[in-house]
Order: sequence, then C-alpha cells, then structure tokens
Amino acid sequence: MANKSNSAAAIPHRVKKKGIKGFCRDNIGFFFILPWLIGFLIFKLYPMASSLYYSFTDYNLFQGISVVGTLQNYIDVFTTSKITKAMGITFRYAFITVPLKLIFALFVAYILNFKIKGVNLFRTIYYIPSILGGSVAIAVLWKAVFRDEGLLNGALALLGITGPSWLSDTRYSLMVICLLRVWQFGSSMVIFLAALKGVSADLYEAASIDGAGKWRQFFSVTVPLITPVIFYNLVTQLCQAFQEFNGPYIITSGGPRNSTTLLSLLIYNSAFKQYDMGMASAMAWVLFVILMFFTVIAFLSQKYWVFYSDEEG
Amino acid sequence: MKKNGLRRAIAVGLVGAMALTMAPAVSAADYEECTITISWWGGDSRHEATLEAIDAFMEAYPGITVESTYSAWDGWEEKMATAFVAGTEQDINQVNWNWITQYDSDGSIFLNLYDYADTIDLTQIGESYLEMCEASDGSLAALPASMTGRIFYWDKTTFDEVGVEIPTTLEELLACGEAFAAYDESYYPIALGEYDRMILMVYYLESVYGTDWVVDNELQYTAEQIQEGLEFIQSLEDAHVTPTIAKITGDGASSLDQNMNWIDGHYAGIFEWDSSASKYEGALEEGREFVVGDYLTDLGEYQGGYTKVSLGWAISTRTEHPYECALLLNYLMNDADAAVILGSERGIPVSASALAAASEAGILNETTVEANGKVLAWCSNALDPYFEDSTLKSSDGVYYDVMAGLSYGDYSVEEAAEILIEGINDVLG
Repeated sequence: MANKSNSAAAIPHRVKKKGIKGFCRDNIGFFFILPWLIGFLIFKLYPMASSLYYSFTDYNLFQGISVVGTLQNYIDVFTTSKITKAMGITFRYAFITVPLKLIFALFVAYILNFKIKGVNLFRTIYYIPSILGGSVAIAVLWKAVFRDEGLLNGALALLGITGPSWLSDTRYSLMVICLLRVWQFGSSMVIFLAALKGVSADLYEAASIDGAGKWRQFFSVTVPLITPVIFYNLVTQLCQAFQEFNGPYIITSGGPRNSTTLLSLLIYNSAFKQYDMGMASAMAWVLFVILMFFTVIAFLSQKYWVFYSDEEG
Repeated sequence: MKKNGLRRAIAVGLVGAMALTMAPAVSAADYEECTITISWWGGDSRHEATLEAIDAFMEAYPGITVESTYSAWDGWEEKMATAFVAGTEQDINQVNWNWITQYDSDGSIFLNLYDYADTIDLTQIGESYLEMCEASDGSLAALPASMTGRIFYWDKTTFDEVGVEIPTTLEELLACGEAFAAYDESYYPIALGEYDRMILMVYYLESVYGTDWVVDNELQYTAEQIQEGLEFIQSLEDAHVTPTIAKITGDGASSLDQNMNWIDGHYAGIFEWDSSASKYEGALEEGREFVVGDYLTDLGEYQGGYTKVSLGWAISTRTEHPYECALLLNYLMNDADAAVILGSERGIPVSASALAAASEAGILNETTVEANGKVLAWCSNALDPYFEDSTLKSSDGVYYDVMAGLSYGDYSVEEAAEILIEGINDVLG
C-alpha cells in the first residue's frame, strides 16, 4: 500500500521533469510524420468525409443543401441509364487497358533486359510517352492519328483498307482512349525491368542445362519470380484505370454519344457543369467501393499466384 | 501683342479648367494605391489587346496595379463557377450574360454598378442594354460590352468554285446542298455543330411562329412545333446542306475554326455569333473570301432570331477596392484610348463614346461591323437567359444530346422533342 502511494506520487514528478524536450524525444516519430499527417487530414480525410456527407444530401453548388439524409443519390446512381452506362464503359475500359498494358510493358521490359546495342536509348524512348501524361499536345497528336483523314487511316489506305471513323464511331472510340493508356506503359515497364534484373542468371543457366527453351524459361522462371511486381503493377494500374479522366476529357470529351464517358468524367460533369455535388459525391463513393472491391479481390488472390522470396517451399 | 497672348493664355487656361471640372476627372487623391485583379476568357488577340489597355490604364492611374488572369474558353466557366462559390474570383470578371441569372440570382456575387454611376459613365450605354444586365432585384450586375446574334457567314471562294450563288433563301440553300454534292461529296454549304443546330432551330421556329422561345419562364412551343423544328434541322442533313455530327466529330477538331475542312473550304459556311466570327475568318487559308450572309427570307412570316448581350464586365462584391475597380471598368468601357486599343475584340462596343472613338480610328473589324448591323436590324425576338444555362448548352447537356442523338439516329424527332422539352422545363423550374 505504501509502495503504491509512493509510485503514484512519483509519476507527476517524473512528467514535470521530462518537460517539452522529453515529450519531443518520446514522440519524435510523430513529428516526422506530422507534415504528412496535416496534409492527409486537410487534403484527404476532410474532403472524403465531406463528400460522404454530401452524397446523402441534394447539395447544389449554387443552391446549397435543402435535403439531408437522403439515399436518393445512391438510388439514382443505380437507376439512371446514363450513369449505369458510364459504369459499364468504365469496367470495359479497365478490363481492356490493364491486361494490355501489363502484357505490353512486360514484353518490352523483357526485350530491353537483353544486352543489345543502344539499350539505354530505347529505354528512354519507350519511357517518354509516360511523362507526357494527359495534355493538349497529346490530344492534338491523338486526334491527328485517329481522325478520319489521319495518320492511321492514311496508312491503312496505303494497304488498300478503308479505315473506320475512329473518333465518331461509337464502336471504336473507346479503343482510341484505351490505346492512349496502353501507349503510356513506361512506368510499368521500368518497374518490370528492375524486377527482371533481380532474377539470378544462375536460374536461367540451370534451366538451360535442363533443356528449357526461351519461352519455357520465361514462363517457368521469369514470370513466377516477378509475380510480386506483376501484382503491384496490377493493383496500381487497376486503380489508375478506374480513375482515368485525362484521356476521355482531352480527346473525346466523353463522346461520341457518351461512348467514352467514364465514371470519373461523369463525376466531373455532374460536379462542375451541372453543379450537382450531391450526385457527384455519391458517384465518387460508388467508384471508391468498386475500386476497393477489386483491390481486395486482387489481394485475396495473391496466395494462389504470387510467390514471395521469403516464403517456404 | 503681349496683351493678346496673355488674354489667350488666360482663356485657354479657363477653358481647360472648365473642362477639367466638367469631366469625371480623377486625381491621385481620388483613389487609393492598390492592387486589383481582373479575369477574362478569349483568344490571343483579345488577350493582347486587353493587356495593352490595362497597361494604358495603369499609366493613366499610377498607383493602381492590375493583375490579370486570362485563358481560352475551354474549362473557363467551370473554373469561374467554382471561384464564385469559393469566393476566390477576381475583383473584375468578364461574364457571360446568363451568368447573371445562373450565378448571381440573389445579387450576392456581383456589385450593383448603379451605385457607381458617378464613376462609371452609364449614359454612354443605352438604357435598354443596361436593363438586360439587371439582376432580379433590379441591381446592375454587369456592364454589357456588346450585343450579338447569330448570322450566316460564307466562304465565297468555295461557292465560286462550285458555281452557285450565296443563298438568301431556304430554297436556295437546299439547292446549294444538291450542287455541292454533285461537285464533290466531301463539300458542304455549311457546317453546323450541335449548339449551332439548336440556335438555328429556334431561329427557324421564331421565323415561322413569331413567338419568343421562352416567355416568363415558360417554353412557348408545343411538342409538335418543336418536332417541326427538328425535322427542319434533319432536312438540312438529308439535303447535303450540312455534314452529320459524326462527320464533324470524325474530323477530329476541337472547334470548327480548327477544322481542316473549314480551313480549306470543304465546309463553306457557318452560323456564328457576329462577335466571334473574326476567328473563323482568320483561320481560313490565305486568299479565301469570307463574306457576311443574309438571313433566309423564306423561313416564315416573321424575322426570327434573337440578339443578346455578348458578354459583360462585373465587379465582385468581395472586392476591397470597388471604386478603383469602377475606374478600370469605366476606362475599359468608355475611354477613347482603350476603345482604340480594344477595337472589336469583344464585338462592336455598345458604349457610344467607345464606338465613336474606335470608328474614328478606323480600327473596327469591317466584317464584324457589317454582321452586327445586319443582326441588330433583323432579329426581333428576345432571348431568355436560361437558354444558355450550362445544364442545357454544355457538351454533356440536353442540346448536345438531342441534336447529336437525332443526327446519329438514336432518337426519332418525337423522342428528341420530348427530351428537349423535359430538359428545358427542368431548368426553367
């Protein structure tokens, strides 16, 4: 009992002695992350919490909020044909671009991993489209390539083929946007290249002695060893694809006939052209849930196809 | 001799003093040294002229610094709408006419310029023009820079190549479609985008029925009449008068003035605002003759079509320097030096003093003057500001949906009319 009261009395004394210096020393980690934390709270958490709240209101940018606690926006998201159509297009876009981009990036990285003359120059050239991003210059370039009398149809005409109207035919317009994303494969390629460099030459040598050809080596040695990187690229590319905005915004403005209106573009239009922030927020949250769903699926599937070096067996 | 000279000097001095007291003279003591901000959208020539006029203002009013924000139209309205809500707009803003009703319905965004009538010479601007820029509470939300309307413009060189006269009636226009198709399938008398078609349809219906499109927040046309208008638009496509929307989209140009088919004369006409036609003229290949057309006389019994305030200048209620802003606005609107610098960059000025100075200097674009004269002389209908509401006229709005849907064959005229009416009534409330 006496010991207990002694220690209780000692606590305030110790705290007092530590002072600000001691507090800082004990929480130094917190101070290191403080800039990020402030940024996160102001620029991420607060807007996310606000948009969640707005999604349950009829918030109009100029008329304010008159109804709170309604599910109408969410009902409209799943019952308005324009929005469900945009969801469908977003799924198509993501499921076309992500595999194509990963395959293409891996293929080019594999080639650039060989010791060929001027390989650094090729690596730089292939990376350039990625740093161009979505800009007016890209819009001009893409339109010049895909317009009715553009470079692509000009090339097809040389082969005696009459090319379609890529930009105005609703069957092809999404492909134009997909190709832009696939063309910008540089960042995935660089990550794959780094992973490929990490694969030990001994393994190829052993496989070669066992009689494995180049294809067998690729599928039985290379691919299994870089699955963590494939997984990483898959998740990041999936997230980017579902959030794609620049391509359809700068090249087609969502047209023709909404055939390239992805959900992100519809969110933008709803928020900044129709000023319907409530609906835009609801759509954004639905998009977030879709993204989370696919990310969780990807993570759960890891144990079936991703091999980490620290795993046994 | 000396006596006369002295008398003359005194007389000149007195006249000068009188003039100084009569004019709305501003000395350094009248205003504060401050920095004010201004924003506008437009093309390069408008940017250059406005910057030059602002430099001239800063020279005339030392101590006032003006910071400018300007850009092309694309994305500008979204940016400004957000700024109006967030309270981050500039002190002075170039505004579209419909912004007054759309963004300033309660008068909280734009300053009442009637309160600054001592600083801004409102007598230079016609009363009827000022009334058009009044908010619902009767305050003057903006100063109109110019009046504008849609009119036909033709690339005469192409018409000469095809061997037909420039049309002045619908019958002639339809005949031109036939002649152009016979000459070369890739040539068309006129290129009409989605919004052009909407305005042309209203012009057609007003010519036939004489009634304004919207009166007192109510659409004045029945579903059958609108179907008739849509059939008229569709007939132009069918008769090879205008390319389909798919054809124009496939050209891959952001706007018609950047479309190669317009630049080289394959599309030989436009239906455009008189205040912005100069950019289409400037885009044409060298040597092509750009002429102002006439309204089609056989559309109906009435002189359809409407005029509207092309754009205006408004002062934000949040400005800390309203008086200095009013000085700049008065300078841009009414000052002779500014008028000579700005010319017809914002259309033919409605300010009498600016118009006189610019005319005297001979710097007004002749095509714009001619077109503006024809527009003001012909158009007899009024425009409801909600006609240009962004919900209707933006690229994902109802007008685009209806006109493109009709052209692509996604909608019948009955469906298109129904969607259009529903969309308009939603906006009108």
